[in-house]
Amino acid sequence: MSENTNSVSRRSLLKGAAVGGLGLVAGSTIATSSADAATRLKGSTVRWTTRGGGATGDKIAKAVNDAFAKKTGAKVVAQQVNSDDFQNNFAQIMQGSPDDAFGWMAGYRSNHFGEMGLLADLTREINRLKPTLPTSAIKGATSPISKKPYILPTTYYPWALHYRKSMVKEIGMNPEKIDTWDDFIKLMTLTQKKGLVGYSLGAKGGWEAMGTFDILNARINGYKYHIDLLNGRAKWTDAKTKETFKYFAQLIPFMNDNVLDISWDGMRDLLLQKKTGAMMMGSWFANDFKAKSQADYDDLWVVPFPEINPKWGIDSIDAPLDGISVAANGKNVAGGKALAQFWASPEGITEAIKAGDTNIYVSKSFDTSSYDSFNKQKLAVLASAKNIMFFLDRDARGDFAGPVVGPAIQSFIKKPSDINKILESVQAQWDALPKN
Amino acid sequence: MKTATTSKKTRSRRSLSKTDRFTLSAFVGIPTLLQILLLWVPAVVTIFLSFTYWNGIRLADIRWAGIQNYKTIFLNEPLFYEALKNNGVWLAFFVLVATPLGILLAYQVDRGIKGHAFYESIFYLPVVLSLAVIGIIWNFMLQPGGFVQGLMGLDIGNAISIWGNPDINTWVILGVASWRHIGYIMLLYLSGLKSVDPALKEAAAIDGATEWQIFRKIILPTMKPVNIIIVVITLIESLRAFDLVYIIYGSPTIFPLLNLLVFQNFAGQGLSMKGAAYAVILLVLCIVPIITYLRIVFKEDLK
Repeated sequence: MSENTNSVSRRSLLKGAAVGGLGLVAGSTIATSSADAATRLKGSTVRWTTRGGGATGDKIAKAVNDAFAKKTGAKVVAQQVNSDDFQNNFAQIMQGSPDDAFGWMAGYRSNHFGEMGLLADLTREINRLKPTLPTSAIKGATSPISKKPYILPTTYYPWALHYRKSMVKEIGMNPEKIDTWDDFIKLMTLTQKKGLVGYSLGAKGGWEAMGTFDILNARINGYKYHIDLLNGRAKWTDAKTKETFKYFAQLIPFMNDNVLDISWDGMRDLLLQKKTGAMMMGSWFANDFKAKSQADYDDLWVVPFPEINPKWGIDSIDAPLDGISVAANGKNVAGGKALAQFWASPEGITEAIKAGDTNIYVSKSFDTSSYDSFNKQKLAVLASAKNIMFFLDRDARGDFAGPVVGPAIQSFIKKPSDINKILESVQAQWDALPKN
Repeated sequence: MKTATTSKKTRSRRSLSKTDRFTLSAFVGIPTLLQILLLWVPAVVTIFLSFTYWNGIRLADIRWAGIQNYKTIFLNEPLFYEALKNNGVWLAFFVLVATPLGILLAYQVDRGIKGHAFYESIFYLPVVLSLAVIGIIWNFMLQPGGFVQGLMGLDIGNAISIWGNPDINTWVILGVASWRHIGYIMLLYLSGLKSVDPALKEAAAIDGATEWQIFRKIILPTMKPVNIIIVVITLIESLRAFDLVYIIYGSPTIFPLLNLLVFQNFAGQGLSMKGAAYAVILLVLCIVPIITYLRIVFKEDLK
């Protein structure tokens, strides 16, 4: 997609000229881009999609978008969409009339659609941001096939064991020291004894439980085996994979009885209402704790999932990288790119954090010593692992993760004794996929 | 007799003026054209695509797959058979329970039992809601942390598994779907009943026919056109079921239905032409019984 086809329409140019006539144009530059680009944007409309996040998500988006609008004179029209719906209909939305820029996910999800020509190439923008971005983040955002970035990396978070410090203290354990498998089992057992849920899990959508599978498989069989498995180089019917599900089955007695009825928000509510001992979840939900009260947020804690096989220790973690992508078919691609760059720039990040975003940013531009203790702990959890996984549905191809692995895990939770049959079916479905 | 009708036909055909002919061809032609363009062309394209591998984005990427998509579905997909079962149960339940209940209600309301206007509006109310809205309502009522669970004093942690429990969810979903379907059938049947000449019923009653006999021998045969519509609607509603379950689950895996599988394999990153193959299977399942049924009915009519 060339930028020309999406350049500002005549009418908005005129409008821009009118506005420009009133004030001074000079001095308004976006991050590192030229004043010229800013003038071009003046009066144009950029459309932004907030992917989920509720009221907090809207608040953060408004803060960043307003700052961008103030800076460039462009108008930002934002909407919030249901995250799962947006994901499920992504290809269709991108081929229709998509918003110009939106929060999106690195890995298979952006690379695949970028290579299909649905996401704009952001090489120029990522180069402008280079001084503030660590190489690992740039690498994570770049497609290994076309070597182009289709996303500007902004935040990342660990999928790790979350619990409330106060609850762990209540059962007589030290919340700072939940390190080993035995500690973990003890935490769940004692919590369950109090009539609460030991380990909460949701699997209504199919993807929520993938986090538990990922970490168990990586702990038991190692990072390489896990990635090999997701890409067809190892077999689902292998005894090693079965071993992972043996451990998974050990957790089921500690779980809530309604795993298939709740999704991630149900899990969040369980922890928020002090009804569960621990859970594997992405730290993004902490925003909702902070929105509830500072006390709830301060009580929240996160640690790496405990070691199972000493050969691997705790060397791997699911740490999905998020960022901003630009639709190649948007009405205002240039505006979308400028907005995306603003979101990923130190200025945009500052606005987001001011508006209550608790995510940790990949940007090197600011000092992590200003982080609160939960965010420092998130960084520590991330630093404890040397292998970064992106989460099952970003590490594996899309026509396999959602339609095959998700339902397989659900069937397993419904009837753990069927695991051999289920894994045979998963392998057969992998074998039946069209290979390039 | 025969010659008379033929000559009548030719005469009436000749008497069409130019404007008449234009109007007629416009009235028949435009809908036909739209039908072909919006329905049959996509249907044929879908059938073609079901024999290919494609991710739906770039035309150049289409590859021939032969019957591989169908083979995968029939041999390797546990969800397919679960969906067939669920659609089958749905159909059986609608045919045996929901539709007869709707007819019964319509009959009672038509007879003017006490408070019939009240019943009529009560049962009709859900029909004004779309199934998607009904899904939202009942999901809100029954999900963990929802209204009903709250009334029972259950929080998210110990809420009864309703949507996730395979022993319960089928019946709850069918109950919710029937909640609307019964009213719909009642309404359709009621409008038919209103057009049945009451003199017929009175005559039968004077001849000593029982209520059941009147219904079977008088009402059912006079209502034939409505009956056909109701059978077809019941069939289609059961096979195309989608929105209610999609709203409740958001994914097709806990309570699979054929339409949900079409959607899942056509959506987002999972986009593959297995979805097209599912659509073709669904098309065949819908069309075959309906065409067979209509042929039988029209053959009887010709006799």
